[in-house]
Amino acid sequence: MTYPPITGPISSPGSGIFPTLVFVQGNDQRNINLDHTPFTVGRKVDKDLVIADPRVSRDHALITSEDGQFCVVDQGSKHGTFVNGERIQRKTLERNDRVEFGVRDVSYVIFHPHHASSNTAREFLSQISGIQISTDTTDLEKLTLFLEAARKLNTTGVLDEILVTLLDATLKLTRAERGYVFMRDEENNLRLAAGRNSKGEPLLDDTTISHSILDEGVKSNSEFVITDTSQSLDLAGRHSIVAYDLRTVICIPLRKPQVQTTRDTAMVSTESSAEVMGALYVDSRFASRDISSVSNDILRAIATEAASLIENARLVQAEEASRRYQQELSIAASIQQRLMAVTIPEVPFATLRGRNLSCKEIGGDFFDAVNTDEGLAVVLADVSGKGVSAALLASTLQGMIYSQLTAGMPLIDIVVAANRFFTHKHIGEKYATLIIARIRRDGELEYVNCGHVPPLLVCNKEVIRPPHGNLPVGLLGDATYESDHVSLHAGDRLILVTDGVTEAENARGDFFEDSRLEAVAAKSATLEDIFTAVANFCGGNPLNDDCTVVELVYTG
Amino acid sequence: MNLKIEKRQVDGVSILSCQGRIMFGDEANALRDALKQALTETPRMVLNLSGVTYIDSGGLGTLVGVYSSARAAGAEIKLAGLGQRLHDVLQITKLATVFQVFDSEQQALAALKSNSLPAGVDFLKTS
Repeated sequence: MTYPPITGPISSPGSGIFPTLVFVQGNDQRNINLDHTPFTVGRKVDKDLVIADPRVSRDHALITSEDGQFCVVDQGSKHGTFVNGERIQRKTLERNDRVEFGVRDVSYVIFHPHHASSNTAREFLSQISGIQISTDTTDLEKLTLFLEAARKLNTTGVLDEILVTLLDATLKLTRAERGYVFMRDEENNLRLAAGRNSKGEPLLDDTTISHSILDEGVKSNSEFVITDTSQSLDLAGRHSIVAYDLRTVICIPLRKPQVQTTRDTAMVSTESSAEVMGALYVDSRFASRDISSVSNDILRAIATEAASLIENARLVQAEEASRRYQQELSIAASIQQRLMAVTIPEVPFATLRGRNLSCKEIGGDFFDAVNTDEGLAVVLADVSGKGVSAALLASTLQGMIYSQLTAGMPLIDIVVAANRFFTHKHIGEKYATLIIARIRRDGELEYVNCGHVPPLLVCNKEVIRPPHGNLPVGLLGDATYESDHVSLHAGDRLILVTDGVTEAENARGDFFEDSRLEAVAAKSATLEDIFTAVANFCGGNPLNDDCTVVELVYTG
Repeated sequence: MNLKIEKRQVDGVSILSCQGRIMFGDEANALRDALKQALTETPRMVLNLSGVTYIDSGGLGTLVGVYSSARAAGAEIKLAGLGQRLHDVLQITKLATVFQVFDSEQQALAALKSNSLPAGVDFLKTS
């Protein structure tokens, strides 16, 4: 028996330096950052992970960390804690372990330690980690090494990776035992963003970090604060210093670089008045080596470079966020495309074809076709504006018109209703231009043009532009509408376009215009030729608006 | 931003001269803000569009929106100096029957001065 491969979030957990718990409950799944320990699980509402199921005990289990390992510990639960199907009291978690709390199968947790990804930052990190800094390395050489690291890292992405790499580099340079980066959150509180020890293992926030020194460092105007606890008696009594036997603590406030032009000016501009984004904190214990003698040049360099690194990483992340937003838009566009996917009815007396070419932004074009006893009806509309709001309004309008066409309503009633709806809901700025046309078996065509590009009526290679028209729907609540009638003969064609076609623009700023549209419509019998003509005219200039062309041929 | 708007006042009438393109987005927003601001200063105004090379659907919507709300508030806006393109757009959308359009700024100003009809009466009259 084979198992399907684990896909989705399980193989790619949420970014971050913290282990991830993928909590699966029925069809839902979410990632939980294991950013502190002990992490509590149970039915009580104050648990870190609350599972509301009677089979889960109120205090069901804990996840603890020891020496960089994570361990699940059952708290004497009634229905037990299971790791990979086996009931356990205490077990060290491995990657992709499946943990169940009382409830079997319905809800479970997949443990996902921070995975060693092999991105450029990491690779580079492993390279510099491999370099042994001999004791006779001059400060200048160390500085060069750091600057080199900083420069290379400036080109890589994700903030978390940067932070970890920064910590490792800093630990290497200062020879401190452990290091942390704290960043300000929206409420201006310092939150742990990354923690590492000199062995390269991830660390979580714990009580042995001297938050008092951290706060002082952030508030101070200095580039860095070195605290040697053996030298200052008033510190000696503080909890963390006693508990962890801290000897030296270095706190480097990370200030937003004010000038980003060149590296040199950025260095100069890291003034004490600049906004503090967070802090880099390293410390070591009495029992270990003394780090208080770390060169000031190195600390100053770290202060500057770290801040600019983080700032750059943030910019990259902001870019990433905007890329995601674009992605969401394209998802919305594809939903819209599916909404606009029209099943064209087949009738013996006419053929209908439609084609849409979307510009980069989501537009508000749509077309639809409905066949009833009254005849074959086609609608082409263009909602003003662009983006999601235009697309949403377009689909609403489409639904409205579709249902009324299906009910065989008179065309005038349909546009009056649409106008009322639009002016009622979206006074002023949202409106649509549209054409609804309905052709009967005998060739009698009725159509209503509401502010839309006039249709092209092609009879024997002659193009007629009927002057009939009304106000767009949605501009004025009391607008009145009239329709026009034309008798078609076998072979006559009605071509409807949106203004994206006539207003397609070339690099010189000229529009495709009605004249070119009429010329190609007279000459050619295919929609593709119209699109080709537009594309040739634009010559690579991107479209500003959606282009939609619909062609109705009366075959008799 | 492809639209430049200049404002001046003549005999208690605000004259807004637009240059460039009126497009959905920044340009339409700028036009709306300028019109609203001008309406707080004088209830009568002329929108000189002779420098406008293009108006898209969003820009047109803005124009109609401001025009309608100005009307509702008892203010008067007259359009002047439409180029061929703008003229065509107003024809296609039949909005030429809604707006009061004049060939030149002077004609629009003259109409505002001589106009003693209460606002709204000539609303649907073609110019």
